[in-house]
Amino acid sequence: MSSTRALMQVLRARLGAADPLPPPAPAPEIPPPPHYVFPSPQMMGRYAEKASAHTTALVGIGHVGTRYATDVVLQFQAELAVAHQAVATVLPEDWAASQGLIGLQSRVTSHRQFLLRPDLGRRLSDESVKALRDKAQKGVDVQPILADGLSAVACMGSGMDLLRHFTAACEARGWKVGTPMCARYARVWLEDEIGQEVGARVAAILLGERPGLGTGDGLSAYIVHEPRIGKTDSDRNMMSNIHARGTPPAQAAQKLAMLVGAMLDQRTSGVGLDLSSLAAELGDAAARAPRAPQQRVRLVEVKR
Amino acid sequence: MSILEPIPPTVLSVRRIHAAHPSLLRSYGADPERHASLGLVTCDQDDPTYVALDEATKHAKVDVVFAKSFYAGSAHASGRLSGEILGVIAAADPDEIEEGLRALVRCLEHDACFYRADEKGTVAVFPHVIASLGHYLSREAGLPAGTSMAYLVAPPVEATIALDAALKAADVRAAKIFPPPSETNFASAWLAGDLVACEAAALAYAEAVVEVARRPREDR
Repeated sequence: MSSTRALMQVLRARLGAADPLPPPAPAPEIPPPPHYVFPSPQMMGRYAEKASAHTTALVGIGHVGTRYATDVVLQFQAELAVAHQAVATVLPEDWAASQGLIGLQSRVTSHRQFLLRPDLGRRLSDESVKALRDKAQKGVDVQPILADGLSAVACMGSGMDLLRHFTAACEARGWKVGTPMCARYARVWLEDEIGQEVGARVAAILLGERPGLGTGDGLSAYIVHEPRIGKTDSDRNMMSNIHARGTPPAQAAQKLAMLVGAMLDQRTSGVGLDLSSLAAELGDAAARAPRAPQQRVRLVEVKR
Repeated sequence: MSILEPIPPTVLSVRRIHAAHPSLLRSYGADPERHASLGLVTCDQDDPTYVALDEATKHAKVDVVFAKSFYAGSAHASGRLSGEILGVIAAADPDEIEEGLRALVRCLEHDACFYRADEKGTVAVFPHVIASLGHYLSREAGLPAGTSMAYLVAPPVEATIALDAALKAADVRAAKIFPPPSETNFASAWLAGDLVACEAAALAYAEAVVEVARRPREDR
């Protein structure tokens, strides 16, 4: 009911007009919100649904009026929470030791500083340089480095798995692989200083990648030939989405080893590296055919 | 018939243009970059329609791009559907227009209306209180959205005396005062304050209009 009408009723009584006002117009029935609009059973099997089966991107998610459906919003919020959680997680100081790795740390001293100062994450702390000189094997062909990067969750999750497979793949090719190590608060370019310090021909840093929606557990690998401080991104080759729903660690390790092989053969990396001959060798991993559909992991279920 | 009875407004037309031509959009104040659809309303009471247009902005992502009263009011309308005002809302898609029009018509049919200030129904007053401004009237009044505002309208002499009474009755400040004549030959004022102050001001305003209507000649 109108609040102004209520006010006028008070005023009428005060002015001596006691007879009741004519009744207000009946309020229209407000229809209940639609139960769920799209995709309706009739729409199932249409193009959008088929397309959405091939990607984890937000397509074919339907709508209720001009808004998203509740389960889509909840799913989005849950996936965003996974990403936030991954960024906020800190790699425990003793984790490297517990896995039998040399523990290193960049010049960063706190998690907040790590997020705000990428430059400090690219250089080793003085103690780490010393530890590296004391414990690490020098003059190796390949130096694998596990690191937290932007997702300690991914590093602790499948990091060791990838490191083991990668090391095995390199050793199977007869290369001398460096002492396994793990760097805390590390950015990609940290591999330059580490590789230079141990005199590696190729350095490979395997680190948690910037989390996206629902993927807080993805690893990336960045490989550089002749690591030296001052190398740039154009000198590196990389592989991303190393996780169960993307490229599984075992398969990724084979592909990475082939990249290393190409670098050792051609004595270069980055944009100068010619990968045209690798397509046949890589087989499945380099296939040009459409890759298998990625299934969206549902974090939220809503009854329809 | 007795005093302060509502005079229900008549909604004369409600129409939509789903995809309006850019030239039309521009000439009615819309932005073709952001707006595609229009909703049009005519009504025989202008001030309740301004309130209802503002109400629409609270219910849907719509902008009020055009709202103008017609000269001399609905008694002198240019046609059966002209009424006293044409209001136009614009949005990016027709669904928003739909939702906006629903809120607009609901407000006109159930909330905002003029009231009779005398027994014969020859004097009308609009002592309306908006608890929370939408982004249309807040922009027009230069107030933050969400402010309470008393939207007060009456014929010239009644409005002048009643505005003085309203300003003195409560802790309100005049956001805007429109002295007579408006296009429809009324006078109006927008007073801002907290909700209770706005209600007290509206009550004092309506009471003063009734009083002037009862005793227009103080010299007799």
